[in-house]
Amino acid sequence: MLEATTVVTPARFEQGLLYADFLAQAKVNSDKFEKFYNDPALTDDDIAFFKKMAALPRGPSKILALAEDWCGDVYRELPTVVRIAEATGAELRVFRRDENPDIMDEYLSNNGKSRAIPVFVFYTKDHRYITHFVERSAGAHKELTGAIAEISAKLGLPPGTTYATVPDASRPMFVQELIAKITPRFAAWRKEAIQEMRTLLSTALHSPDHS
Amino acid sequence: MNQNPVKAVPIVYTIRGCDACVKLLRKWDAEGVAYDERRVELSQLLLDEARKYGSLVPIVVWPDGTVQQGFGDSLGCFI
Repeated sequence: MLEATTVVTPARFEQGLLYADFLAQAKVNSDKFEKFYNDPALTDDDIAFFKKMAALPRGPSKILALAEDWCGDVYRELPTVVRIAEATGAELRVFRRDENPDIMDEYLSNNGKSRAIPVFVFYTKDHRYITHFVERSAGAHKELTGAIAEISAKLGLPPGTTYATVPDASRPMFVQELIAKITPRFAAWRKEAIQEMRTLLSTALHSPDHS
Repeated sequence: MNQNPVKAVPIVYTIRGCDACVKLLRKWDAEGVAYDERRVELSQLLLDEARKYGSLVPIVVWPDGTVQQGFGDSLGCFI
């Protein structure tokens, strides 16, 4: 994404919601946001890392979050980023995905087909784009692909079956199996998301992560 | 006495920002399928009700009690 073409100008960024306002407007899941805020999955080492990045001359000072309160991935991950912002002094602004389709369009995933959230975009103090994270880690996506292959084999579906190509007759059982398989992994995926944000920042800022 | 009993229709728990939910409703609308839509993003009560049946919207509860989660080629949204 080229900075020159982004719709997120400094002025637009300032129009985003403060986290407290996002929470105040939330129609659902306030308890979940609170729960994960109180259990942010960040280690002391993680906090030290993000503080170190923030102290770099071109380090992250601003974070944009694309979110919706109904989304499970959002209530699991956004509170972690709130904690990162609080620890580093970064300015966090939350934009509701469905009210900001032009911003969402800049961060589509799945070859431009998915409007997956959360999206976290890191900027320097002078609003230069650093990097961004979308939805869940690459490791989590890989696990998901692996789970789909395993379940396909169990249900006797052809090798190479993807979620999109599961036959309609097998889909209810397939979905049930998939949910049972990946739901227990959500806690681990939170930690992997933190690690991926660390990797993204250290790579973008050419500052090795020595964790 | 009611001589015209209401025909049971499926209940569908949706989020309007969820692509899989939108696709399901579009299909049902095209086919003329009647349904009782309950938008879980608008109410904690409805969200909690939906969670009794599953964790991936759209969640369809058929009149015979059968429950289906997700729809079509996209995964849907975890609630």
